[in-house]
Amino acid sequence: MASRILRKGLIFLVSLVSASVVVFAFMAVLPGDPARVALGTNATPEAVARLHEEYGTDRPALVQYWDWVSGLAVGDFGRSYVTGVQIGPQILDRFQVTLWLVLSAMVVALLIALPLGIAAAMRHRRLSGTLLSGLSQVGVAVPNFLVGIMLITLFSVHLRWLPSGGWTPPAEDPWGFAQRLLLPAVSLGLVQGAILTRYVRSAILDVLREDFLRTARAKGLRPHQALLRHGLRNAAIPVVTVLALQLATLLVGAVVIERVFVIPGLGSLLLDGVGDRDLLLVQGVVMVLVLAVLLINFVVDVLYTVLDPRIRTAAP
Amino acid sequence: MSGVADHGGGWNGDRAATEARGAARTVNASLVTGGVLVATVILTALLSFLWTPHDPVHNDSGARLLDAGSPGHWLGTDKFGRDVASQLMAGARITLLVGVVAVGIAAVVGTPLGILAGMARRGVGEFLMRVNDLVLAFPALLLAIMFGAVFGAGTLTAMVAIGIATIPNFARIARGGTLQVLSHDYVQAARAAGRRPVGIALRHVLPNISGLVTVQCSVSFAIAILAEAALSFLGFGTRPPTPSWGRMLQESQELLFSAPALALWPGLAIALAVLGFNLLGDGLRDRLDPRLAERRT
Amino acid sequence: MSPLALPRLLAPVAVGALVLGTGCSAGSGDGSEMTIGFTAEPASLDFTTDDGVAIPEVLLTNVYEGLVELDADGEVRPALAESWDVSDDRRTYTFQLQPDVTFSDGESFTAEDVKFSIERAQEEWTISVADVMDVVDSVTVDSPTEVTVELSQPSNAWLYAMTTRVGAMFSPTGVDNLDTDPVGTGPYEVADWTRGDSITLQRRDDYWGERPAMETVEFRYFDDENALNNAMLTGDLDVISNVAAAESLDQFTGDDRYQVIEGTTNGEVVLALNHDRDVFSDKRVRRAIAHAIDQEALLETVWSGHGELIGSMVPPTDPWYEDLSDVHPHDPERAEELLEEAGVTDLTLDFPVPNLPYAMDTAQVVQSDLAEVGITTEIEPLEFPAVWLEDVFTGHDYDMTVIQHSEGRDMPTFGDPDYYWGYDNEEVQDLLDRADRSGGDERVEHMRHAADILATDVAAVFLYLQPMLVVADSEVEGLPENRVSESFDVTGLSRG
Repeated sequence: MASRILRKGLIFLVSLVSASVVVFAFMAVLPGDPARVALGTNATPEAVARLHEEYGTDRPALVQYWDWVSGLAVGDFGRSYVTGVQIGPQILDRFQVTLWLVLSAMVVALLIALPLGIAAAMRHRRLSGTLLSGLSQVGVAVPNFLVGIMLITLFSVHLRWLPSGGWTPPAEDPWGFAQRLLLPAVSLGLVQGAILTRYVRSAILDVLREDFLRTARAKGLRPHQALLRHGLRNAAIPVVTVLALQLATLLVGAVVIERVFVIPGLGSLLLDGVGDRDLLLVQGVVMVLVLAVLLINFVVDVLYTVLDPRIRTAAP
Repeated sequence: MSGVADHGGGWNGDRAATEARGAARTVNASLVTGGVLVATVILTALLSFLWTPHDPVHNDSGARLLDAGSPGHWLGTDKFGRDVASQLMAGARITLLVGVVAVGIAAVVGTPLGILAGMARRGVGEFLMRVNDLVLAFPALLLAIMFGAVFGAGTLTAMVAIGIATIPNFARIARGGTLQVLSHDYVQAARAAGRRPVGIALRHVLPNISGLVTVQCSVSFAIAILAEAALSFLGFGTRPPTPSWGRMLQESQELLFSAPALALWPGLAIALAVLGFNLLGDGLRDRLDPRLAERRT
Repeated sequence: MSPLALPRLLAPVAVGALVLGTGCSAGSGDGSEMTIGFTAEPASLDFTTDDGVAIPEVLLTNVYEGLVELDADGEVRPALAESWDVSDDRRTYTFQLQPDVTFSDGESFTAEDVKFSIERAQEEWTISVADVMDVVDSVTVDSPTEVTVELSQPSNAWLYAMTTRVGAMFSPTGVDNLDTDPVGTGPYEVADWTRGDSITLQRRDDYWGERPAMETVEFRYFDDENALNNAMLTGDLDVISNVAAAESLDQFTGDDRYQVIEGTTNGEVVLALNHDRDVFSDKRVRRAIAHAIDQEALLETVWSGHGELIGSMVPPTDPWYEDLSDVHPHDPERAEELLEEAGVTDLTLDFPVPNLPYAMDTAQVVQSDLAEVGITTEIEPLEFPAVWLEDVFTGHDYDMTVIQHSEGRDMPTFGDPDYYWGYDNEEVQDLLDRADRSGGDERVEHMRHAADILATDVAAVFLYLQPMLVVADSEVEGLPENRVSESFDVTGLSRG
């Protein structure tokens, strides 16, 4: 098994390097000259050339790539062309915000999916179960930003219960932090919860058919007792897998929600960077997001190898 | 996300017969509801080429922000005085166009790649799937924002970006299906008899996985609609004046207080279209493989 | 492994984030604070090398001061200079400085700093507005509180520019980290900048002038104007600096918790026509476009009738203003005739537009109006500022565009044939040049004449003047009446 994990680790590293090449190549063709943007409306050609030299954007692409990627390896993302600020700390700062949002959205998703999914599975082939499944289908179909807009309209604008957006660092004001986090977390988590409900339901249905559960029921345990005692653990593996993969979806999906709720997270940073043609910044943010996705997939893959004997034996 | 369903655990065949009856009921419900919704979107889009109540892009400064139910404007008008119903109808075109092109790109590129990965020597197959995973690391929204930044925002860049990001889903499904088909005795025999790989792919593999691919098309269509809406909402999608549901939503945002219905209609349209394609996909999956009816994920 | 194990697994990361949250510095004082919402965050705090208007908006007057400043009517009045004399040939300005002025780093402000600042604007500044300092021949320190500036020729534009960011006074000891750490003589200093969220200004105890009422003023930045409005509705904000869409005013008007203040700005929204394009060398085509657009309906659609029709490159607050909005009344038939006379059929125009709400809305109305007279336009939304600057402003790669020209007294841009609209009219150039050198009535006369030519010749279509729509809690007092300077002046704010 160790060699298998080692191999997966190697693949992960190769993917990461390939991804960095893709991102760099992509950004190299981005239109809009950052030097010109930084210098404003009537910059002289000499000033532009001087700034190019300062940025190092006049050097061959390969040299620039090496410079960038070797910096990345030690956590140095370079300095923004537009603002001159170190990018690394900025990304770290924004990433924390996005992480709060994404993790709380996952909690929301779980709070929705576990009870609903289990209920739908237990009431399988009854009207209430079908209705629950239908409800989750509708949930999947609603764009998360629409949920956000509706929540703001209702809870912020009309009822005035909660702020409509913005961000308060938790250390500064935990209550304000929680208030501001609630609506975006629900917007992001609701749709994921609907998707997750369907996986929970199917996982529970699978488990319900397993022999040991039938044995347990034959021994006189009621269905939900049997499920609680033996079933949940077995249903957890596929659900946790989906959850982990959803983490990647959420990270990127947060871009839109951050825009709706004015949250200074990684997504807003990306959109601002694109708008300002802040090449290095965009490169950095995209790279961090891609790294996160690859890392999540890698971890899930490894966990799988370790946890699930079926996969281990069935794997080619 | 599609790869996840494969890990759902083993199938216990002996219950199939008893559960088939219950399944049949939901199958029909999904298929029929999904079919009706999708057909409505398609017919609306087609109809909009022939007729809309008003010119969807005509501004009328004298008829701004009319409420739903106003004479001549059943769903009212927006801040430019454009008829909302006409825009919704015309917006169905962009929604379908984006879906068809994005899913088309993904299916036409992804399916052969998946078959190739399934049939090729193990090293080649592995390599292809690694590349696949690499593309998977660039989610549709991220790729579309990058494309928008490089090539300029617009429907075309959005479609292509969504399409490319969806390729891995098809490749994965196709490879899984291909491996399964190849394990059948008659295919093994055909291979042993020296049939050319292209022949086997066309005669045996493709017909057998076409169901899987069709289901994936429907599900991906729903994802593409959502992605286009999100992109237009962020300003990376369809350009004005071409009506698009996502942009209608974005434009309605500043009017949430005074005219909330302007957000309601495009939001409803998006949700119903996505629901339609998802249900259709479910229904098709069940129809094509009744054994899977129980595990609709 | 239960599903619940996942949050636990990730808990250490979350705790790390908690500890790293940024804190606001809380100074001593009465604790009064006010929060103002904006839509554009500065990219840096250095307006000597960064061109965004958001930087002087927060820093000028509040953090940096100049020798002179503008009042709400657009008149130049004393600031760091108590008074000044102008020589008869209008080339020599002698400024008497306020004594006992200190920078926020503790250094005192003297005539040496004036010399330093003006010379720095000539040499170090990279943004184009600093070009106006080229006219300065020499700066002489007469005493710590007196300084003399010699111009190479009389220039009205120069004194006006001294009221803008170009005239801001810096200390030689305070320019090391301009992009994050501005040092000025103003009543406030920057206490905290949470990127992507807010800038907090903290009142200085050692300010030379009148002490402002608010101890801290927070400038909060929103990507999206709807989020901005919602923040106001939920009580997060005391003031919205400028409402970006008039429709959203409905939620504040008629509610006695809020006040809405409407004033004027310097922001002429212009439909720029690229004079380097052959089709626009025919004046009839330009006139046809001007006649085709229903400017009144446009203003109604985009701003619900707020704002003003101007007809030329002059806001009503300038002394040479004249209502020229009727020079080309809405007349689609006349437009079609003009196009026919010019022999233009099937005209298709490339129409890149900054992706800002007012510009996108305006462009869509223009597009619909032009379609009525048979002109097809292809709207291409461009990220603002980056791509619009690159393609349109610098690259001149456009047929038509819409943009707000927010600098004050910016008509002289029509005297520069290399400016992005490529308007090359010797008569206008001559008038503008003479206006800058001359004084009093003669100057006003020349400017008025030039503005008139710009309107009749359709140098561009001057669509409307951007309104200033400030929303504030009803108890807020001391808000600026008009936005005629580059700064959002918070020094007079108080709660009633």
